[in-house]
Amino acid sequence: MTLIFPSSEFDDAVAAVCHGAAGEEQTRALNELLRSDAGARDEYLLRVEVHARLASEPELFPQAADAAAPAGLPDANPGERRKTLHPKTRASRLTRTPARALAYAACLALIAAGVWGWWSRMAASRDGATSAAVAMLARVVDAQWGEGTGSLRVGGALEPGRLRLESGLAQVDFYSGARVVMEGPTELQLVSPTEAVCPAGRLLAEVPEPARGFRLKTGQLDVVDLGTAFGIDASDGRTEVDVFRGKVEFKAGTGAKQSLAEGLAAAVEGNAPPQFMEANPAAFTSMMELQKRSLASEAIRYDEWRVSSARLNQNALLVVHLDLENLNGSDWTVRNASEKNRTVPDATIVGCQRAEGRWPEKQALEFQSVNDRVRLAVPGEFDSLTLLAWVRVKELDRQLNSLFMCDGAEPGTIHWLIRNDGILSLKVRGRDSGSSEIIASPAVLTLDKIGMWTHLAVVIDGKNGKVVHYVNGNPVARRALKLRPPFRLGSAELGNWNPQTGPNPAPSLTRNLSGSLDEFELFSVALSDAEVHKLYTEGKPESDM
Amino acid sequence: MPADSTHRFDDSSAAQQRFLSLFLRSEREVFRYVAALVPNMTDAEDIVQQTAMALWEKFEAYDPAQPFTPWACRFALNKTRQWIERRQRWQALLDRGLAEELAQRRQELQPDFELRLKRLEVCLRKLPHGQRSLVEGYYYERADVEELAGRSGRTVAATYKMLQRIRQSLQACVERRANPEAV
Repeated sequence: MTLIFPSSEFDDAVAAVCHGAAGEEQTRALNELLRSDAGARDEYLLRVEVHARLASEPELFPQAADAAAPAGLPDANPGERRKTLHPKTRASRLTRTPARALAYAACLALIAAGVWGWWSRMAASRDGATSAAVAMLARVVDAQWGEGTGSLRVGGALEPGRLRLESGLAQVDFYSGARVVMEGPTELQLVSPTEAVCPAGRLLAEVPEPARGFRLKTGQLDVVDLGTAFGIDASDGRTEVDVFRGKVEFKAGTGAKQSLAEGLAAAVEGNAPPQFMEANPAAFTSMMELQKRSLASEAIRYDEWRVSSARLNQNALLVVHLDLENLNGSDWTVRNASEKNRTVPDATIVGCQRAEGRWPEKQALEFQSVNDRVRLAVPGEFDSLTLLAWVRVKELDRQLNSLFMCDGAEPGTIHWLIRNDGILSLKVRGRDSGSSEIIASPAVLTLDKIGMWTHLAVVIDGKNGKVVHYVNGNPVARRALKLRPPFRLGSAELGNWNPQTGPNPAPSLTRNLSGSLDEFELFSVALSDAEVHKLYTEGKPESDM
Repeated sequence: MPADSTHRFDDSSAAQQRFLSLFLRSEREVFRYVAALVPNMTDAEDIVQQTAMALWEKFEAYDPAQPFTPWACRFALNKTRQWIERRQRWQALLDRGLAEELAQRRQELQPDFELRLKRLEVCLRKLPHGQRSLVEGYYYERADVEELAGRSGRTVAATYKMLQRIRQSLQACVERRANPEAV
């Protein structure tokens, strides 16, 4: 293949390169031409520059910032475009300045969000882990952190690395479910959701069943937890492990693996064989109290949520309520808990792992593979809708990550999703095929919310023509909606999308969520700010600290 | 705890802030530099991300007296070279010194590009509605071409072709405006 310049083959090759569709033969021919023809080279660079500017300057699209991207209409004759100024463009000019400013702000946020995304990957690339955060800081009492640990926020995500607690108490909840309370002075190195190292200090680990296999190393001991509570006291060349519940396995230095039963303790000093004795809970009292307090407050919150949830189920406007209570491994249906509206009897779980929900006792569904989804069919037509979900996003690894998406792209349906830059997006399709609107929030799913239980909601108010996005009970975007009701949902999926394009959809149509879902509600009305906030307050994992 | 610990719990560490503010100001230019070599958007973004990581790792070696963008572009060129090693068709495109030649020539043309492309926004506004929303969908919204095709009732191939034509007419528009006598 040989290219000449100018020619339509040259035009096509440049376009193919821009679209990432060029084959090797084409790129090789382009290489030959560009190396030998300076004129072709300059033209090539200009074309690519136009393409790259369009891709890198979001403020070139001020209308789009309002996110009401209208659908493409069948095209006008391209030859005529140059002379006619689109009348709508002229009319909308007056109203553009504020929209532009907004667009610019949104675009900065977008870029910033992109960069925050990279930070986590940068940290990950250094630590060899796939996901940056491995735990969260659950609570602290009079905690003084050592130099270099920096300022830590309760509820904030913790990446692999060292925590140095000089004094006071701190509880770290690993994403595997293991909880570690440490008492200063203690150093804890977070390695992964299932592993930590404590070179010196005192800590208490509570390891529920799902986190079984949690590993804790000290300078001298390597302890593998078999579903228990145990304490570690490591100082001045002596390490003691005390088992309060269950059983652990430990290994001292190069010695053999040994198991240690409930009520026993083992101490290792130097190269001497371990000494066994009775466990000493008194030495860990303050840490045990913190743990008890934290478990008790969680149990109370869970109970409070159950009470409000039962009340909510009596609401006639509640069309779907998946509380994901009483799931078991072999059950592939989730009962719709709404009592007054039985148009949607239940939903079907496809794939999905059972996971811990907002509270240790509460269940949730984890979406991980491209097949994981919850399918449901919602009959009828709606003037307004409110969708709410408690989700814990693990990663935004798809360009579009589904929350609730109607199958295919039928008229009147909706797609609610999170973009990989942390923007919440709602796409509404009009009744005329091809027309649609996208209502997007700023980048709100920022790094600090990844891995945290987060309440997301969207209100589609057909009567007043507006859409509101909410995060944790607060509105984050309020935009006009031009498309008119009725809206229909029909067959839809939580955490995934069925594009209805055949058995093997293109990779770009893969929109599965990576994370957990603990509750989903669908109302047939537009809830007010206050109502959304109330639902958030009733369901949030922790009471105000 | 060593002062140079690579584990960063503190999101607001001063170096990180400084790096971010510098990088954010240069990001678009770095992207366009990379795109001159690997024009496909997602691939170019990939390379920019890898460049950002490399820049951050070597940030201690950055001399604040020097402008940041050219420093960043040197890393970007290296990252691009590494990236194409595993991708034959891109390697075929940039083979035999063309990468360096393109990077060099782009720099020479830069003032001219700035001048011409100032008009890009005006030219975009002049596009008929359907074309503008296609460009918007592809470049701003970053929608899949399959989806854009679905929206407009075109085939995927026709959608790519339309994008190509729209870029050509945008280019014709900016050039005419840069140079009104030439029409």
